[in-house]
Parts: sequence; C-alpha cells; structure tokens
Amino acid sequence: MSYESLLEVTDLINEYVACIDDDDLERWPDFFTEQCIYRVIPRENADAGLPVAVMYCDSRGMLQDRIVALRNANIYAPHFYRHLVSNTRIVGESGDEIKAQTNYAVFQTLLDGETKVYNVGKYEDTIVRVDGKLRFKEKLCIFDTYRIQTLMVTPI
Amino acid sequence: MNAHSDLVTSLEWPANLNEIPKAVFDDPDLYKMELEKIFYGPEWQVVAHRGEVPEKGDFKRFYIGEMPVLVIHGEDGQVRVFHNACSHRGALVETKNRGSQLEFECPYHRWLFSSTGEMIGCPNSNQFSPGFKKENFGLREIRTDEYCGLVFATLSDDTPDLKEWMGERMLDPLARILGGDGRLRLLGYQKVNYACNWKAYVDNDGYHAPLLHPAFKLLNWQGGRGSQTPTENGHIVFEADLTMPDRVDLLDDPSLIDFKGTDTSNGSLVISTFPITVLTKHLDMLNVRFAFPRDNDHTEVHYAYFRHEDDDEEMARHRLRQASNLLGPSGMISLEDAAIFTRIHHGNISPGNAIFQKGVSDPRQLNFTPAQNDETGNLPRWEYYRKLMGFRRAQS
Ligand code: FES
Ligand SMILES: [Fe+2]
Repeated sequence: MSYESLLEVTDLINEYVACIDDDDLERWPDFFTEQCIYRVIPRENADAGLPVAVMYCDSRGMLQDRIVALRNANIYAPHFYRHLVSNTRIVGESGDEIKAQTNYAVFQTLLDGETKVYNVGKYEDTIVRVDGKLRFKEKLCIFDTYRIQTLMVTPI
Repeated sequence: MNAHSDLVTSLEWPANLNEIPKAVFDDPDLYKMELEKIFYGPEWQVVAHRGEVPEKGDFKRFYIGEMPVLVIHGEDGQVRVFHNACSHRGALVETKNRGSQLEFECPYHRWLFSSTGEMIGCPNSNQFSPGFKKENFGLREIRTDEYCGLVFATLSDDTPDLKEWMGERMLDPLARILGGDGRLRLLGYQKVNYACNWKAYVDNDGYHAPLLHPAFKLLNWQGGRGSQTPTENGHIVFEADLTMPDRVDLLDDPSLIDFKGTDTSNGSLVISTFPITVLTKHLDMLNVRFAFPRDNDHTEVHYAYFRHEDDDEEMARHRLRQASNLLGPSGMISLEDAAIFTRIHHGNISPGNAIFQKGVSDPRQLNFTPAQNDETGNLPRWEYYRKLMGFRRAQS
C-alpha cells in the first residue's frame, strides 16, 4: 500500500461526506460506479448474518431514486448532518480495487438547533478507478447506533 | 397495582365519539395506569415469532410494557416466555438481544437455568434458607399462546383464549401476513425509537389515507377496493387491493416495487392488535412491528422482516430488497409516518381534542364498517381504551 493511495482514498471519503453535509445530494450518486452496491445496515443485523438493511441500493439508478424521493416525496423534519470521519485504513489492494475502512460519526441537528449524535459506525468501501477518478463500487455502512432516532432519509 | 391518575376523575371525555382529548397523551401518571391495566392486564401482547428463534436454544429478549422478558425456544421444542429476572435476587438473566444456548446463567450468584426455565443448579445451596428447593426456583414463566408461529404472552389469568381475543375476522388475514402457515425465516430488523407516546404511534401507524405519502401518487398507485374492520376490543384489520401502474415515472429502477407473490391479490394487509402491535403484508414484504412503550414520551418499534421457508433465492432476494427500501423508519415510500408520530406528539401538548372527521356520519355512534379511507376505523379502539381506563363520558 502506498501513502499516495491512502491520501487519495482519504480525499475521496472527505469529498463524499462534504457532498452530503453540504446538501449537495444530487451529486451524491456520482461518487459511485454505474453498477454499485450501497448498503446501510445495523451492526446488530450484520453481526448476526441477517441481511436486512435500512437502505439498500444495487444500482446508481436506485441511489438517484432515493434522492428523488427525498426531494419530492418524503416528509420529514428538516435537519443538517455533520460527518466526522477518521481512522481510514487500506485493508486490501488487488488489481485495480482498493478496500478501505473508515470510522464515521454523524451528528444531526434539527431546526430547534439541538445537535445529537445520530449515527455512528464504519464504512467498508470497495473503491475502483473510473476515468482517472476513484469511485465506490461498494459502500457498506455498518452502524453501531442500531436503534434509529425517528427516521433516516438522508444517506450516510 | 394501584397507579392512579387524577385525569381519570377530572377529565370529562367528550360526548362525541370522534373527539379524543389530547390530555391523554401527556400524563405520566396515566401512562403508569396504562401499563397496569393494558400492558400487564388481560390483553395478549405480541412478543416474538418462531422465525426469530427457529432452533432449540434460540432466544430473544423483549419487553411487555416496561417489563423485560425472555423468549426461549426450549430443548423440548416449545417456545416459552419468561420474566427476564433471576429467581434469586432479580438480576437480568440475559442481556444479549438474541442468541442460542441451552443454559442461562445469572452471573451474580451463578444460578443456572435450562432452556425450559428449570433451575439446574445454584452454588452453596446447603447454606440457603430452610426448606429451599431448586424445583421452586425456576424462571418465572408467563402465559403464552401461538398462532402461525406468532408468540403472544399475557400477564393476566383473565385474558380470554387467544382466538377468542383475536376474533374470527382476524384469523385468515393474520395467517396470510405470516406467510400462510407461519413457516417464516427472519431476514432482519430495523429498530427505531419514536419520540412519541405509544397511543400516538398506534393511532397513526397501520393503514391511513394515502394523502401523507406523495410517493404513492408519484408511483401512480391507485387505491383499489378495500375494507377496514375494527373490533369492539381494539383490533383493526385492513385489506386493500393495489392497482399496479404499467408505468413508473418516479423510479429509475422500478423493479423495486414489483409484486412477485403467488397470492391471488397483490393487496395490502395491515393488522393492528390491541394495544400496540402492527403487522403488514405490503407488496412482497412480510413485516411484524414488535413494539413497546419506553416511557410516556417514547415508543420503541422493532420492524422484523421475514421470508417464507419455501422461497427460492430470487424471491428471498426480492423480499430483502423491498424490506431494505420501502417501509419502516427509512422506507422511501412511507417514512413520513415516522415524521407524523413526532409531530402529533408535540402538537398534542395543546388544549382541546383531536377530532376525527372523515367518515363520521353520526358522532354519537361507532361505525364498525368504515370505508377504506375513513378515519373512523380508529374510534372503536379509542372507545375500548376509554372504558378500560375508566374515563367518564359526558352526557351531552
Ligand atoms: S441474582 Fe441471580 S444468582 Fe443471585
Ligand atoms: Fe403511512
């Protein structure tokens, strides 16, 4: 593993969470390859080998569907996310695929101005290069905070 | 058993059956009474499905009201429900949410229990009080019954027989939600803490008019024929056909909302059992919402999704995809429900009554055959609740 690829992966993850935190969600699917998997799964399920996720998209189209629903159909309390990411490690490299893991914490602030720790977990990413840029081929968010507060509409 | 709320004596319940006093959502004393009279009283509480504990030794931790219980698939094949409290000094016997083991040990003084609840051993028992007998110190078992693998428990001896309590009308739809014969396998949980009183949860979960869910319209879903059947004792059964569109503009990937079931109807089934459990079959999702109140202002719901044992891999994958995207606290077609529970709970801290309108032709009569989209289906449950709690109804 090169220091350079770690820097590049870290950069990708920083850009990814900035896109969500800045509410630039229309750009969110662009971080993924056309054929991709995005799963947000409670750690309790993951540990028990139970496959149910709270979000499960297996194409970029489904990622777009999530955002279309969020913007046009879903009703929810407006909120901000703030992701803090750390401890990024490259755990495997083969061919043109990089496997990386990163801890994350999402703070959620509702319009009453109160900030709460909303969702804490880790990313398990499979990253490939498309047209010179790193993209997520698979992004698995395994969250420790497996009891969601009220609802989850914004991606992690 | 002596919780008391002054509200029960001071509040005069409106004479109109479609008016619900908001004060009942915001009274911690009343909540304590509800625990005693409803959750620990003569009602069946839904605590588990066999699909969650399919093998001998499998167990699940859950709650009846605020009481911790332990559901164990015993080595004799029977599923029992116990108080999750050691028969010695009362420590929680088990703290894992689920697992599999044939013995349960309380770590405090190492009392050991079998999967059928008997006491196996306790160190130093030669120094225990005179007449101490192991046989008398098994885990305290709670009365249970099962229907299509769905495990009910009740803390009262006065609770009627399970089928009588459910009523004839519920049996067939409930079986269909449970895969026809109850041979289900757990796909997983979505767990959520709703910041609302349990009555606000159950009054607004289950079926309601689709106005809240713009996605239904965007998906061109037309509500077809349907019915809702409330019962005198607080249950509601909904059945509705769904007319599937030939074109879905909203979704880039419309396979998500395919209906693959072999059932003759692609309809939705929703059952709400008194006091707090909702079960649904929507598209190909088989979903039991195990729920319990955490305190007056919070309700925890475990959305458990199942597949049928006979599903092929494709069907199982399809159910999984739908379960992971459509319903529940992050379901893209209905997460509005969660938003409404909180909004109702906060809005209820204001004077006056919540007033049901749609379908009310005579506010002094309960309607047991409301139309599909009427609000009146919830009113028999409220009347049952009022009587249980002993609220006086105004004469005029
Ligand atoms: S409290 Fe359980 S062994 Fe003493
Ligand atoms: Fe709904």
